Amino acid sequence: MVDRRLTWLAAMVLVWASAIFFKLVSLQIIHHREYLGKAAARQEISLEIAAPRGTVFSRSGRRLAMSVSTDSVYVNPMKLPDIGMAAELLGLALGMDREPLEARIREAYKGHRGFLWIKRKISQDEAERLRRVPLDWFFIAHESQRHYPNGTLAAHVLGSVNSEEKGNAGIEMYLEPELRGVPGKERVLTDARRHNIASRLSIPAKPGTSLTLTIDEQIQFVAERELAEAVKSHNAVSGSLVVMDPVTGDILAMASYPTYDPNEPVTSGEYPKERINHAISLPFEPGSVFKIMNYSAAFDTTNLTPETPINCGGGVIRVAGKTIHDSHGGTGVVPAKTAFGKSSNVGAVRVGERVGNENMYEYVHRFGFGQKAGLPLPAENRGKLRPTSRWSKVSLASISIGQEVSVTTLQLARAVSVIANGGSLVTPRLVLKRGDQVTPVAPLVRIIKPETAFTMRFMMENVVLNGTGSKARLEGWTGGGKTGSAQIFDVKAGHYSHSYNGSYVGFAPLTNPRIVVAVTVNGTHGEGGFGGATSAPVFKKVATEALRVLDVPKDAPEVANPTLIAKNAVVDDLAISDLEAPGSNILEEEEDADQAAQRIAQAALPGPKVPNFRGMTMRAVLAEAASKGITVLPDGSGIAKLQSPPPGAPLRQGERIRVQFTR
Amino acid sequence: MATLPAFFRRTEAPARPVHAPETTRAAKPRADRDPYALRALPHEDILLFCKKIDNTRLVREPDVQARGACWSVIGVAGMVLLIVTSASVPYVGSTLAGYKLETLRTEERRLIDERRNLDLEEAELLSPQRLDVIAKDKNLVPPATGQVVRLDGKDSAVAMAKPE
Repeated sequence: MVDRRLTWLAAMVLVWASAIFFKLVSLQIIHHREYLGKAAARQEISLEIAAPRGTVFSRSGRRLAMSVSTDSVYVNPMKLPDIGMAAELLGLALGMDREPLEARIREAYKGHRGFLWIKRKISQDEAERLRRVPLDWFFIAHESQRHYPNGTLAAHVLGSVNSEEKGNAGIEMYLEPELRGVPGKERVLTDARRHNIASRLSIPAKPGTSLTLTIDEQIQFVAERELAEAVKSHNAVSGSLVVMDPVTGDILAMASYPTYDPNEPVTSGEYPKERINHAISLPFEPGSVFKIMNYSAAFDTTNLTPETPINCGGGVIRVAGKTIHDSHGGTGVVPAKTAFGKSSNVGAVRVGERVGNENMYEYVHRFGFGQKAGLPLPAENRGKLRPTSRWSKVSLASISIGQEVSVTTLQLARAVSVIANGGSLVTPRLVLKRGDQVTPVAPLVRIIKPETAFTMRFMMENVVLNGTGSKARLEGWTGGGKTGSAQIFDVKAGHYSHSYNGSYVGFAPLTNPRIVVAVTVNGTHGEGGFGGATSAPVFKKVATEALRVLDVPKDAPEVANPTLIAKNAVVDDLAISDLEAPGSNILEEEEDADQAAQRIAQAALPGPKVPNFRGMTMRAVLAEAASKGITVLPDGSGIAKLQSPPPGAPLRQGERIRVQFTR
Repeated sequence: MATLPAFFRRTEAPARPVHAPETTRAAKPRADRDPYALRALPHEDILLFCKKIDNTRLVREPDVQARGACWSVIGVAGMVLLIVTSASVPYVGSTLAGYKLETLRTEERRLIDERRNLDLEEAELLSPQRLDVIAKDKNLVPPATGQVVRLDGKDSAVAMAKPE
């Protein structure tokens, strides 16, 4: 009896053990993967590790744009216990109106949507407030938010990002692939309380590349401040400014007005007027500043010299049946440097005639007009330069005085860099470093002879000292420049209006220039809106600050001759270039006569004369200068080609002689 | 008065065989119950009491074999416990280390975020616009060229004179 029972018991235990064994085989072998997956789904959570967008630095290492982590709130409308209560609670915690929020949630509910952002990028206080609420029907997601700590500073260069942190303007847009990081992934084993135990799989996030721009925040700030002040004070419409290193092509500042705060998101239906980078996107007829290219081409291709007499024809010239006036009355036969300094339209037309169509086109093209400068910024405009086949009979004359072409402020700065660096076209550089890798400086391309560049420097210095650019004269540094005032063509009316683009392009110091500044104020009115009155003072303030920041030693007296400035200020007001608007220029004629008389009188004065250094080596020049107690400012290397003042000119006490050496 | 063994014997009494004679106890004719009287509880008539037993005079005889066996069992159990503990130590250790590692990772991310927030705050404080406003309030002007001497710069002579 007992044995029988024991047998039964053993059989039952065996069956039970077999069942357990087969269940174990099923769990561990047959359905191993299936149950492993189910276990992982319960015990493991997948996390996306956000990759911070690359930080943008200024050239001195200050942060211009950076991303920080932030929180966003979302719900599943289908799983809300009570939509009205949820809207009430979230509205209170997040400072939102209840009714619109409730309407949004109800709409999502009706649309059977399982996901709805309640508020994105909430503040830390709001996040803390929500985390204290012990409810499980709303969720907080980690996101990244872009910040521009300097507000409007360099807004047009930096651009902005959209709500998905994708660049929609400026360098943020153009260099999006580099700035955007690659998010990482992580699978974490968690316990019942959702505390992380261990990482199962970890792909680290790859942050976006940090960029160091060539922008100097201090120069940029002053540039924006002065440009805004100029536009407002002259009731102008807009303005742009570029500060550039003429040797490396580094853009030290690029300002555009009106401006905007990139921290503010673009609202739907907003007209992006403030977001247009005028310095590269809005071309304009340059006016007299374009005479720089005209004269450079003439010095390079003809026998024109600064002393060559130019017949300005009393300020009137007829070209192909069309009359071109000097805007300020005109003058007679004057040296080329005077015609340039006084911004004579007739003189420029005469010089252009010497250059000819083909050479004019060739040189204007060489200076970089009609082509993009190649900055990593979107919406760069190449300007307009028609091929000679499409030129009319009056085109050469028009282009000689800066009409029938359109240029951007950046192109003007680039062109004047050619004069400043000794005759080579530079490629502008905006990104100094990508991560730790320095962006190499593009090789310079020689486009004009060094002696032409040197001659143009002194022609442009003459503009500042004796011409239309007196308000750009720096205190403590030498410099050169050119004013320009072009009438704005009214497309609707079909003729030039009485609004002007007032420009000034200059460089400093005269020997080994360190900066080039191009300023344009668009939509000015009246004589006070000409380039010499609107843009030249901006140049002075910005260039002074830039030279101070760059620690450039002073090479001129601190205080300029006030008499000279006051005298030239009158001329400055009359300096415009256009085809249509004649005007009186009695003051200018008197000025020229005075200067001519002064020059003749100086030549006849007894006393020491400037020695002739031409053809001498630098060592010989310095030795001779030392023996005579003369200060020489050498520029370049090799043999002395040009000098200023010219040989035989009266040598004033303390005067320094600039000598250009070339090989 | 019945004792517990008596009670159990009574309740566990084997069933009477079919052919067994009638029980000696004659079935009492059931008296008519008072319809208003409460029904008796089962075993209501049984009374229980505690019997005090004094075993202090009993002396346990030493069992050497049993003691040895006991120590053997304790030893084996200890060994098993030690082996099980040793085997589970790495697992428990790795789990605890995992908790610590994940906590540290979370802390690292929090500190990185905090550092970025501080960097942002610093950048906002050093903004040229803000500094310009402060400088104007205090009637400060930009330094002239050459007026600023950077002690950490390449001018080693000046850098050496920098006070500690």
